[in-house]
Amino acid sequence: MRAWSVFAAELQKLSALPAVWTGAAVAVLGAGALTLLNAVGVRDALLAGRPEDSGYGSAFDTAFASMPIGTVGAVVIGVVAMSSEFTANSPDAGGGRQIGTTLVAVPRRVGVLVAKAAAVVLLVLATAAVAIPASVTLAEAIIGDAATSTVPADEAVRRCLGAALYWTLTALLALAVTVFTRSGVVPLLVLVVNSSLVSVSLLLTMLTPVAHWLPDMAGRRLFGDVDTVAGGLAAGPGALVMTGWALALLVVAGAVFSRRDA
Amino acid sequence: MRAVGLPPVVAAELDKLRTLPVTVLAVVGTVVVGALIAAAQAGAAADQDLPTSAVDVTLRTVPFVVAGLVLVGVLAVSQEHAGRQVATTLAAVPRRGLLVAGKSIAAAAVVALAAISTLGACVAAAAVTQRLLDAPASTDGAGAGALLGAAAYLVLIGVFSHAVALLVRHLVPALVGVLALVLVVSPLLAGATEHARWLPDRAAAAWFDAGPGALDGPTATLVALTWVVAVGGLGSWRFLVRDA
Amino acid sequence: MLTIEHLVKHHGSRTVLDHVGFEARSGRVTAFLGPNGAGKSSTLRILLGLDRADEGRALVAGQSYRSLRDPLRTLGSMLDGSGAHRSRTARNHLSWVARSNGIPQRRVDHVLDQVGLTASARTRVGRYSLGMGQRLGLACALLGEPEVLVLDEPVNGLDPEGIRWIRGLLRAHADAGGTVLLSSHFMGEVADIADDLVIIAGGRVVADGTLDDVTRRYETLEDAFFALTSDGRDTVR
Repeated sequence: MRAWSVFAAELQKLSALPAVWTGAAVAVLGAGALTLLNAVGVRDALLAGRPEDSGYGSAFDTAFASMPIGTVGAVVIGVVAMSSEFTANSPDAGGGRQIGTTLVAVPRRVGVLVAKAAAVVLLVLATAAVAIPASVTLAEAIIGDAATSTVPADEAVRRCLGAALYWTLTALLALAVTVFTRSGVVPLLVLVVNSSLVSVSLLLTMLTPVAHWLPDMAGRRLFGDVDTVAGGLAAGPGALVMTGWALALLVVAGAVFSRRDA
Repeated sequence: MRAVGLPPVVAAELDKLRTLPVTVLAVVGTVVVGALIAAAQAGAAADQDLPTSAVDVTLRTVPFVVAGLVLVGVLAVSQEHAGRQVATTLAAVPRRGLLVAGKSIAAAAVVALAAISTLGACVAAAAVTQRLLDAPASTDGAGAGALLGAAAYLVLIGVFSHAVALLVRHLVPALVGVLALVLVVSPLLAGATEHARWLPDRAAAAWFDAGPGALDGPTATLVALTWVVAVGGLGSWRFLVRDA
Repeated sequence: MLTIEHLVKHHGSRTVLDHVGFEARSGRVTAFLGPNGAGKSSTLRILLGLDRADEGRALVAGQSYRSLRDPLRTLGSMLDGSGAHRSRTARNHLSWVARSNGIPQRRVDHVLDQVGLTASARTRVGRYSLGMGQRLGLACALLGEPEVLVLDEPVNGLDPEGIRWIRGLLRAHADAGGTVLLSSHFMGEVADIADDLVIIAGGRVVADGTLDDVTRRYETLEDAFFALTSDGRDTVR
């Protein structure tokens, strides 16, 4: 079994799923639409001389404020990549699940999971490569000269890469968790809630500082240092911790996936 | 022959929700999670010696239980399309208008049950935590009116989720769509533009948390209900005319 | 009892049904035959009000299915196997169906017993085999003691004993004055129990009459079927 063909098969399977495209669309169009609305509001406030109402001073920060919606898209891609394998067909079509076909075609289960993870990474990075530059460009175009501050180019690049990494790691976490649950409902619910401002992890940080080491809190600063919540890990160590979580969960998922009856 | 009226359809829809394990799990899960989070928030406040009341803690817990209500709200419709149950349902109740009405009443009833039990559990958990930790209590916080508003808010979100499910039919898009709107889009928009107050959840939130820039009472109610009626109407129309 | 008149249905530019019309009469078993994709299910879905016809109409005792009061007491149907949510038990499934049409709950146990699912009544439908799902679908069709039975591929997935049982059930139902319309592509089963035949191919009715009328010119029903549905071309066998 050549690893490349397993990967190609997984990639083809994923890119044929409407839900994966929906996830990508949520990230691209959602970030674009939010940036559009926010940027118009920011520009109007800045032009009217009310910078305190605008929320953000630079176009880049305005665009980056809409990045959490991209996390939702990444969660959808990661969850659906796995849950689609376990969705039962209608009884007319035999009531079968795709996982049977997948494992008959590629019995080495760890290989399947690795290929799936690689396909998810590729798709999320592709989504990020469209969504992030598009949002930033859109915000620049709308706010333009009204901006009261700018973000230096090297910091901007670092934060763009950081956001793409955060999305990718979130998608991998979603993939790993869905291996355990098989159904997509619980991981979608939990991960979408946690990628929002009412994140349970965020609440836990108020009870114990250990919660700063949870994957979503650890990676939080990849988007930049502007976050309102104090404390926690800096971008670099945070990225390492979050990557560690993603890899560890994938390893456990691989062990479970290999041993469990399909 | 007996006439099929609304009551048997509602009864059948309630039966369907009750015997669906995921409904029970969602309702119980929301109640338990809500109680735990309320207890945690009461504990955190006690740690910092901040005087607070059980009702205030409950109101701060509301955003964390919204997701549970969204899930409960979409189930009445989404269960039909997980497999081919919809064929059985339409064979039993071919009048689709009647079916949508019955389904919506049943969904609203279950959502209301979930909302009220969750808020009750939150108040109880917060009060017990405060008592156990001997925390400073505040008496000048929000009263029963705000609690009622929070219940109405949760019911509205649940019913709105049902309306979205009527429109998109399947569990995952309905769930992700409403969650993204309520938990991500609406707070992000609110950060930069005041137009966010016209979103359904922002409008309904004015019932218990009238922050600066919120719509005033009657307007908020009108906006929130208009959203539900518009989306629900579109979803019902789609359900009425399209092939199953 | 069942009247199908000039049904036309398009899916995009494809014509699925092209003026399909026939009747299923009381006291008779009418078999609705055709190859995969010929339009059998589309016709039945329109008859049951699941899909709308672009032209024509399908009537149950002179009324459209959607205007029937307590429809399950007039017409019992099985289209998609069990038609039940996979995480519900068979008993719970039948129970809500009964409730929606004002059918007494004791009928639930009765039909479960009738189709031989009493022992599995508390098992979730997702764990059922194909044949058990089929039996649950039949139980649902029988629930309202209807005069008309409309069954799509009822023997699909049933074991030989089940096939024999359903043959007896349908025969008895017709002999008692009821109407039975069943679609199938199992020629052997149909030849044994059908009184009337309707054969559909490419969205058109190509033969309609009693079993004897339709098969007179051919040795077997199977020969008749292939001759009539091959549209003049040699059938790929």
